[in-house]
Amino acid sequence: MIGIEHYVVVSSILFVLGVLGIFLNRKNVIVILMAIELILLAVNINLVAFSAFLGDLTGQIFAMFVLTVAAGEAAIGLAILVIYFRGRGSITVDDVNRMRG
Amino acid sequence: MEALLLEYLPILIFIGLAAVLGGALIVIPLIVAPSKPDPEKLSAYECGFPAFGDARMKFDVRFYLVAILFIIFDLEVAFLFPWAITLTGLEGGNAVFAFWSMMAFLGVLTVGFIYEWKKGALEWE
Amino acid sequence: MDFTASLALIAPEILLSVSGLVLLLAGAWMGDGASRLVSYAAVAVLAVCAFMVAPALCSGAMGPDTVAFGGQFRADAFASFAKLLIYAAGGAALLVAPAFFERHGAMRAEYPVLVLFAVLGMGLMVSAGDLLTLYIGLELNSLSAYVLAAFLRTDERSAEAGLKYFVLGALASGILLFGMSLTYGFTGTTTFEGIRTALSGGLSTGALFGVIFMLAGLAFKIAAVPFHMWTPDVYEGAPTPVTTFFATAPKVAAVGLTMRVAMDAFGKQESAWQQVIIFAALASIVVGALGAIGQVNIKRLLAYSSINNVGFILIGLAAATQAGASAMLVYLSIYVAMSVGGFVAVLMLKDADGEAVEAIADIAGLSRTQPLLALCLAAVMFSLAGIPPLFGFWGKFVVFQAAVQADMIALAAIGIAASVIGAFYYLKIVKIMYFDEPVNKVHGKSDWIHWALLAVSAIFISPLGYLLTRWLGSLADKAAAALLFAA
Repeated sequence: MIGIEHYVVVSSILFVLGVLGIFLNRKNVIVILMAIELILLAVNINLVAFSAFLGDLTGQIFAMFVLTVAAGEAAIGLAILVIYFRGRGSITVDDVNRMRG
Repeated sequence: MEALLLEYLPILIFIGLAAVLGGALIVIPLIVAPSKPDPEKLSAYECGFPAFGDARMKFDVRFYLVAILFIIFDLEVAFLFPWAITLTGLEGGNAVFAFWSMMAFLGVLTVGFIYEWKKGALEWE
Repeated sequence: MDFTASLALIAPEILLSVSGLVLLLAGAWMGDGASRLVSYAAVAVLAVCAFMVAPALCSGAMGPDTVAFGGQFRADAFASFAKLLIYAAGGAALLVAPAFFERHGAMRAEYPVLVLFAVLGMGLMVSAGDLLTLYIGLELNSLSAYVLAAFLRTDERSAEAGLKYFVLGALASGILLFGMSLTYGFTGTTTFEGIRTALSGGLSTGALFGVIFMLAGLAFKIAAVPFHMWTPDVYEGAPTPVTTFFATAPKVAAVGLTMRVAMDAFGKQESAWQQVIIFAALASIVVGALGAIGQVNIKRLLAYSSINNVGFILIGLAAATQAGASAMLVYLSIYVAMSVGGFVAVLMLKDADGEAVEAIADIAGLSRTQPLLALCLAAVMFSLAGIPPLFGFWGKFVVFQAAVQADMIALAAIGIAASVIGAFYYLKIVKIMYFDEPVNKVHGKSDWIHWALLAVSAIFISPLGYLLTRWLGSLADKAAAALLFAA
C-alpha cells in the first residue's frame, strides 16, 4: 500500500534534486529557474500528501498559494534574466562574476 | 491490497502495449528501411532553394514577456474555483465577507492589468 | 469571528496596499516626471501608518484582542515595534533615492511603489501568526526586493545583483517552505499556537527537520553564516539607496520573524534550535569580522559589517529569554540607525562628476576636504565597532548582558573577543580618513535630505543616544513581553 512515507520520500528526492540542480549546474541560468520550480513542487507534493493524510484542508490551500507565488517568482526571475541578458549577452552561470570577493 | 493493485492492471497493460508499439515503430524502420545517406539528403529542406541558416532559431524575447504576463493572470484564477464552490455553502456575514474578499483580490489583479496596459507591455511593437 | 475587529487590526496594512495600488496607477499616468511626488506621497503614507501602529506599542498590546482572522495575524506590541523600525527604514530609503537615481536618469515611479509593497510584506512577516501569513509576507517582501536590486537596469552590476539575489533568495524560500511543509505534516496545523500545542509533548524527528529547515531558510534572509554568501555581492551591486533599504528593513523583518518562529511556534523546544542559533551567531561574528578585513569597496565592507551585526543580534535569541528578546530589539533599533547613517554617508561620497566613490582608498584624507562628512562616517564606524561612548556600545552591552543572565557566559566571552577583531577594520577606515594623505577625490554637493538623514542618525548614535536608553528599553520590554505572552 502506498503510505505517507512514500510521498515524503519522493518529495525529499525532488527537493534534493532541485538543490543540487542549483549548485551543480554551471551552464545556464534558465536551468536554475527550473530547479527552483522543482523545489517548490516537491514542497507541494509534501503539502498535498500531508493534507490528504491528516484529513485537513489547510495543506491544499497552502499548496495553491505556493503555486501562485511560484508563478510570480518565475515571472520576476525571467524578467531579471531578460535585463541581465540585455546587458551581458549571455546567461551562462560561470559568467555571473562581475563582483568577487 | 491485491484487489487494489488489480484495479491498476489495465493501466499497466496499456503502458506495456504503448512501450512495445512505440519501440517496434522505431526499431523496424532501422532494420527494414534502406538507408543510403548523402549530403543532399541530410541537408535541411527548403522549398526550391538551398537552405540558409539553422532550423533552430532563437525566440524573440517578446514571446517571453507575453508568456510572463499571461502566466501570472492565468494562475491567479486558480483561486476562483475553490472560492466559487465554497461560497454557496456559506451564510450571512461569512458569505458577504468571502464575496468581498474575492472582489478585493480581483480588484488588485485589475489594477495590475491596467498598469501593464498603460505601460504598453501588451503592445507587440 | 468578528471580521470588523479583524479589519480594524490590519488597518495599516490595508492603507499600505491601497495607497501602493493608487500610487502605481498615478505613476503610470503621470509618467516618470512625477516620481519625486510619488516618493514623498509614499513617505507620507509610511508616516501615517507609523502613527496607526504606535498606540499598540505604547500600551503594550498583547493577548486575544490583538489576534486577527483566527490567529493568522497578530497586531501586538512586538509587531508594532518591528513595524515602526521598518517604516522608518523604508522612509529613509525613499527619501535618499530621488537624488541618486535622477543622476543616472533612472528615477521611476515604480521605486516608491515597490518599497511600499516590500514594507507591506515585512509588516505581514512580523505580524504573522500562521505559516501561511509568514510565507505570503516573506514572498511579497522578497519579490519586491529582487526587482529593487536590479532597479538600475542599464548597470551590469545591478542586474547581476538582482539575478544573484533572486536565485539565492528563491532557494532560501524553497528551503523554508520545505521546512514549513514538514512542520505542517508532523504537527497537523499551520498556526504558531497550534504548532506549540502539538509539540508540547515532545519533538518528533520530522518536526525537528522542519524547524532546522525553517531556520536555515530564515538564516538566508537575515544573512547569517553559513548562508551569507549572497550579501556582499548584492550589497555591492544594488544601487546604494536600495542597499540602504536591504541592510535595514528586511533585516528587522526577518529577525522579528525568526524570533516569532523560534520563541512562539517552537518556544517549548529551545534545546532543538538553541545550538543552531549559537553556532550561527558565533560564525556570523567571526566570518563578518574576518571577511571585512581584505575589502577595498566600502559597500562590501558594510555588507560584512551587517553579517557581523546579525551575529550579535542572534546572541540575544540564543539566550531564549524575555531579556534576550528585548535586547535584540534594542540592538536592532541602534543597528538600523547605524546602517542608515553608514549607507547615506556612502551615498554622499561622490567625485567631481557626481559619480559614486566606493573604493576605500579614495576616501583617504576625507577629514581635510569634507570634515563634517568624515566626522559622521567616523561616528558610524566607532558605533559599529561598539566603542563607548557611542550608542552602538549600548546595543552590544544589552545583548551580552542578556546572554550572561541566561548563563551563557562562554558565548558572551567569545562574542566580546570577536568584536575586538571586528573593531580593527572599522578603525582602519577612520585611520584612512583622518591620517592618510588626501587624494582629493570626493567633491560635489549633496542633497539637503541626505545631510538631514545623516545628521539624525549621527545624533542618534552619538553619546546623546544614551538619553533614550530608558525609553527605548521600556518599549522593547513591552514588545518582548507581548512576544512571549502570545507564546
